[in-house]
Amino acid sequence: MNLLREPYSRNRQIMLGVVGVVGSMAVAELLLRTVFTKPGLPVPSKVLLGAVGLFGDPQFWQAVGFTLVEWMLGLALATVAGVLLGGAMGASRIVRIMFELPVEAFRVLPSIALGPILVLLLGAGMLPLSITVALACVWPILLNTMYGVRGADTTAIQTARSFGVSEIGIVWRVTLPAALPFAFTGVRIAASIGLIVAVSAELLIGSGTGIGGYILSNSANAANLDLVYAATLVAGVIGVLVSLAMAALDNGLFGWKKGLAQ
Amino acid sequence: MTEHTSTTTQLPELQLDGISKSYGDNLAVRSITASIPAHKVSVIVGPSGCGKSTLLRIISGLDEPTEGTVTFEGNPVHGVPEGLAMVFQDYSRSLYPWLRVDKNVAFPLSKLPAAERDARVAEAIEAVGLKGREKLYPWQMSGGMQQRVAIARALASQPKLLLMDEPYASVDAQTRADLEDLLLKIQRKLGITVLIVTHDIDESVYLADHIIVLSTPPSVVAETIDVDLAHPRDHFSTKTHPRFVEIRGHVTQLLRHTELTGGAA
Repeated sequence: MNLLREPYSRNRQIMLGVVGVVGSMAVAELLLRTVFTKPGLPVPSKVLLGAVGLFGDPQFWQAVGFTLVEWMLGLALATVAGVLLGGAMGASRIVRIMFELPVEAFRVLPSIALGPILVLLLGAGMLPLSITVALACVWPILLNTMYGVRGADTTAIQTARSFGVSEIGIVWRVTLPAALPFAFTGVRIAASIGLIVAVSAELLIGSGTGIGGYILSNSANAANLDLVYAATLVAGVIGVLVSLAMAALDNGLFGWKKGLAQ
Repeated sequence: MTEHTSTTTQLPELQLDGISKSYGDNLAVRSITASIPAHKVSVIVGPSGCGKSTLLRIISGLDEPTEGTVTFEGNPVHGVPEGLAMVFQDYSRSLYPWLRVDKNVAFPLSKLPAAERDARVAEAIEAVGLKGREKLYPWQMSGGMQQRVAIARALASQPKLLLMDEPYASVDAQTRADLEDLLLKIQRKLGITVLIVTHDIDESVYLADHIIVLSTPPSVVAETIDVDLAHPRDHFSTKTHPRFVEIRGHVTQLLRHTELTGGAA
């Protein structure tokens, strides 16, 4: 049995990826044109044409812009709250024990369920949507930050102490840098969740704003279903781009994480 | 317990008076009294688990003794005293993986003006033979190189007292020999007081001007020995010198004796 394999070359990987995407689209195209011909199903060629058509639609771009701002605002709120509370929970046993149960209880609640209440409290607009996003995003950031702070190496801390660094200095110069890559992993996970929740929340409480609102208003008209699929596709592509950007940022900022594997 | 009087006329840099440390009912070290002479290399040697590291942590001020006092330059130690640097066995955890070599070495110097800091970092890196590797991350280097970075960082802080906890236990034999010679060279040049903890008898005799032999726990000082081997030392002629063989044999016997009798007391 051969367990160790040479990785494929980059070109070969790209080629296989393209074959996978184009192949599955071709299969879907074939099936939807011959076997499952019910109107309203996403025929790839039509969806792609629809997506190309979307590029010329300023209304759609406005919706995309709205969703991205809403998502970033929510992610920012979640990052601030998650890093602060997670950091405090990692650093202090008292804080951790006090908040352990509430965190466990709240993080399994579907944040979207709170959406209607938020609209009632805050009125319609971007803020209740962003808060809904934040409520879903805060947990992975909080938990990862907490484990990052708790995991700061005792030898690293004692080294700083032996050089006469103050306790505040140790938090600033050892615990924080050691925990940052963990916090950022939390942000990466949260970013994808946040985009899903952003579009879902728009469908539910967005009153026609954002990508979700665009999808919702167009799905009322059977003739526009390709647009609906196309918008969904664009939302997916945005998600992939966000994920790639976050991975690149992670690599650039925290490339030293490789040192932890030793 | 026999205690040789130190031949040095200098005042002790560091004085341990009746140091005991217990964890709950478990007594780790008992009533350790010893003098560490200034500007010399002293080595605490003892069997595994004899509380050597505990003792070093107490001396460094990272831990408090249950009883007894540590005096450094005439002042009782509470918390880490000024002018102390410590090199840990586990270099990969002691170095900061997010800092490149030069920044790791500069870590204890954050309060200095930039120009002086840079000069000290360059000097320390030069002293341990790592010039040209300033911009590497520690984890891109071999274990021996990483321990050199840790030593450079300790030197950069210009300590009066350098503590080393099993500094070479995690590197290969050849690297270990090189690092031992590096330490002796630097110590002779700068004249700092060095206190090393090790379980390795050869290493203790090779490095030391002064050896403190600990017994098995609860540990007491079995004996202190002045090592009168000439400097500069090297791994061939020093280690084949009859006096080296004699002292090594003596320490070996002491440790074996304490192990057989379960402590000198």
